Amino acid sequence: MTAKGKKGFARAKELYQDRSQRAKELKAEGKKVMGYFCLYPVLELFTAFDIVPYRILGDMGEPITKADSCLPTIVCPFIRSALDLGLKGKYDFFDGVVMCHSCEVGEKAAHIWRIYMDPSYYHFLDTPHTVHEPAQQQFKGQLEDFQKTLEALTGKKLSAGKLKDAVDICNQQRVLVRELYDLRKSDPPLISGTEIIEVMVALMSIPVNEGNALLKQIIDEARGRTDGPQKKPHRLLLWGTVIDNTALVEMIENAGANVVMDDTCVGSRAYFPMVEPTENPLDGLSRRYLVDIKCPRTFREAVYGDPKKHYIKDLEHRFGYLKDYAREWNADGVILQSVRYCDIHGYDTPGLSDYLNHIGLPNIYIEHDYSEGALAPLRTRVQGFLELIG
Amino acid sequence: MSEEKKKKAMNRLKTMYPLRANIDQAYERSVEATKAGKPTAWSMVNWWEADPILKAMDIEIVYPENYGAVCAAIGSAQKYLDRSDAEGFPTHMCGYARNCIGYTAEMTELGHIPSDAPMGGMSNPILLLSSGALCDARIKWFQSLGRYLDAPVWTVELPHPGVEESQMPGVREKSIQFMVKELRELVAFLERLTGRKMDWAKLEEITDDLIEINRIWYEINEFRKVRPCPMHSRDFWSCMNASLYPAGDPKVSLKLYRDMYDEVKDRVANKIGAVENEKYRMVFGELPPWHALKIFDELAERGWNFVVESWAYHAPKPIDYAKISDPLERVATQTYQWLTGYFPDALKEKEYMGYFAYPYLEWARTYQCDGALFHPLLTCRTATNHLILAQDRLLNKLHVPSLIAEGDIVDLKLFDYADTMRKAVVLEEMMDHYKKVRQEEGFEW
Repeated sequence: MTAKGKKGFARAKELYQDRSQRAKELKAEGKKVMGYFCLYPVLELFTAFDIVPYRILGDMGEPITKADSCLPTIVCPFIRSALDLGLKGKYDFFDGVVMCHSCEVGEKAAHIWRIYMDPSYYHFLDTPHTVHEPAQQQFKGQLEDFQKTLEALTGKKLSAGKLKDAVDICNQQRVLVRELYDLRKSDPPLISGTEIIEVMVALMSIPVNEGNALLKQIIDEARGRTDGPQKKPHRLLLWGTVIDNTALVEMIENAGANVVMDDTCVGSRAYFPMVEPTENPLDGLSRRYLVDIKCPRTFREAVYGDPKKHYIKDLEHRFGYLKDYAREWNADGVILQSVRYCDIHGYDTPGLSDYLNHIGLPNIYIEHDYSEGALAPLRTRVQGFLELIG
Repeated sequence: MSEEKKKKAMNRLKTMYPLRANIDQAYERSVEATKAGKPTAWSMVNWWEADPILKAMDIEIVYPENYGAVCAAIGSAQKYLDRSDAEGFPTHMCGYARNCIGYTAEMTELGHIPSDAPMGGMSNPILLLSSGALCDARIKWFQSLGRYLDAPVWTVELPHPGVEESQMPGVREKSIQFMVKELRELVAFLERLTGRKMDWAKLEEITDDLIEINRIWYEINEFRKVRPCPMHSRDFWSCMNASLYPAGDPKVSLKLYRDMYDEVKDRVANKIGAVENEKYRMVFGELPPWHALKIFDELAERGWNFVVESWAYHAPKPIDYAKISDPLERVATQTYQWLTGYFPDALKEKEYMGYFAYPYLEWARTYQCDGALFHPLLTCRTATNHLILAQDRLLNKLHVPSLIAEGDIVDLKLFDYADTMRKAVVLEEMMDHYKKVRQEEGFEW
């Protein structure tokens, strides 16, 4: 069977194992392939210009060597890994890159990427830190500028209609991802946490419309499968930093739990928020990307401008959706995980733990250095946690 | 070598002493005021974006980042760091943040300022003012204090456009207007919080004083481009807080900076250097090892004169603010100018980290530096993550070599004095070599 002949889970696994395969084929056919970093470069804009969006990720299995010549080792190992892959030429098939102010190290790495790799097209989106109305307007202005650079690159003027169509296609993908995640609600789930990572990474490596077709195949296949995950004593929710490799989830699932829900940026965090239809699509897009994506890189508070502080109300506002996830997916524990040196998640961890304790959800915090070899010591902690929650 | 000779190796500015004393007195007055019950805000360093507003509303400002440096310098940080770790915060986080978290946890547990807190401690704040400038800790840290404090958190936005993007039509104007809108919201919030009204005339006066302080401070540092350089980095660090924080009465600071300007100008006219026999003109990267400043005396004896230092602590490039009538727009413009002032030059050279890294390049050229000493601060990623890039650009574009001597903002054990001196000798050989390379390639120095 040819690579293109595979379908459903097999195709997702194939793309997970060889991410660039399809993007390179499309490039050979004359399409532009654009690398993008983090969740804030708006997929709808790429899609509207018929550009293949390709998310820049790292590789836990690849030792970081070249990136050490331009970033110190005391920063996020995921970002170092992504930069390392770029410096090693693994992303040479890009026609350009779009970076953003994801976090501080992400921002610095964006500038370093441009200096050392000098892509023929480059744009930096300065995502604001807050979500108030002025910040949304500022971000909308950023998207307008981004759109102009894409118009200059492609020589095409973008119409509102075309952008609305792209919103529909991307929203369709979000609906399908929700449908896929719903298949994790049963006990046992119809799709494992490990498989979800493979599917998510695959989606981030192909055009959105192809991703939609793939999702439909996977949903059909999962519904009819008899070889799905086995029932296990525990159902876990996984929160934290980027997970673009199956190793961590596989370790957890082998320890006696099904990972039935996640809140990470190669998972529900990337896909659950929808774009609301607005007359100017950029209004809906700026709101969706700035406000509705719940990444700790953004400052949000319970009531804007309230001179009174309510700790639990604040936590409820920031993390309440996790209570919903735990209830809907029937999770009996939460693993908070982070790559080392991730400040944005690190500062949130004790507060989130307070919140989960407040609502009676057992939780544990684990930290890793984004390498497969370093996961073994965490297995013992995860096993201990599972024993603790009964 | 005699003590007398050591003193002679570095020639400190006389006007530095009253300016430094004014900063120290300002801290003491601030501690007294907050203990006496004056409304107090804990604030991130915000590069003049929120300071004038808080000052105009007569809110006392305490800077926990600065307090972290104080605790570290007198050896009191460890117990607060340990407390932060015990509270569940990751150990890799910013050392100043961990110090503050540990301190705050202890203060809350006790119900009062810990009796052994350095410099009288930090009083309970009515407000926590975060800043979107530069690093993640400065927007995340105060929110995490919600476990211990009832004070609301406000985050001041500062756009960080890319170098090329900053030059797109309208970006500067839109960014400043965004900041102005946010600052207007901040004023309204402070009025609700304190029950006081903003004194707009006072805000205008303070803002103008800060702009003038920064203009003079900038000009003082411009004098350092001459040979021999009249002012050492030690004097810069001793005096920067009257601009950066800004500590003390702005009018007093303004007068003292003017005195310093006159002294430095006089030194230039009389060719008086800050170091006897200036042999190597040096850049210093990041904050110095506060507990080991005597290393600069030892290096001065070898002819090392530190003529310029990290961008983040410097004043913005002066521009004309005369046509900006709205004080909030003046405030926003100054901070935005500080952040992006080097971007147009950076773009010409295809250098895309327009702050932090690029200024080293521009300054190494305009201050005619022979080498750089970089002091990465291991629990401060912001102070560290651009230094390898800067090192590479200095060497490959200007043939200016550098050495990295690791240290930290709170863990003083990380700085190895003896090893740094050993490396300094090696760097001298490299500087001698690259000086020849520069000359061969037609560089001016």
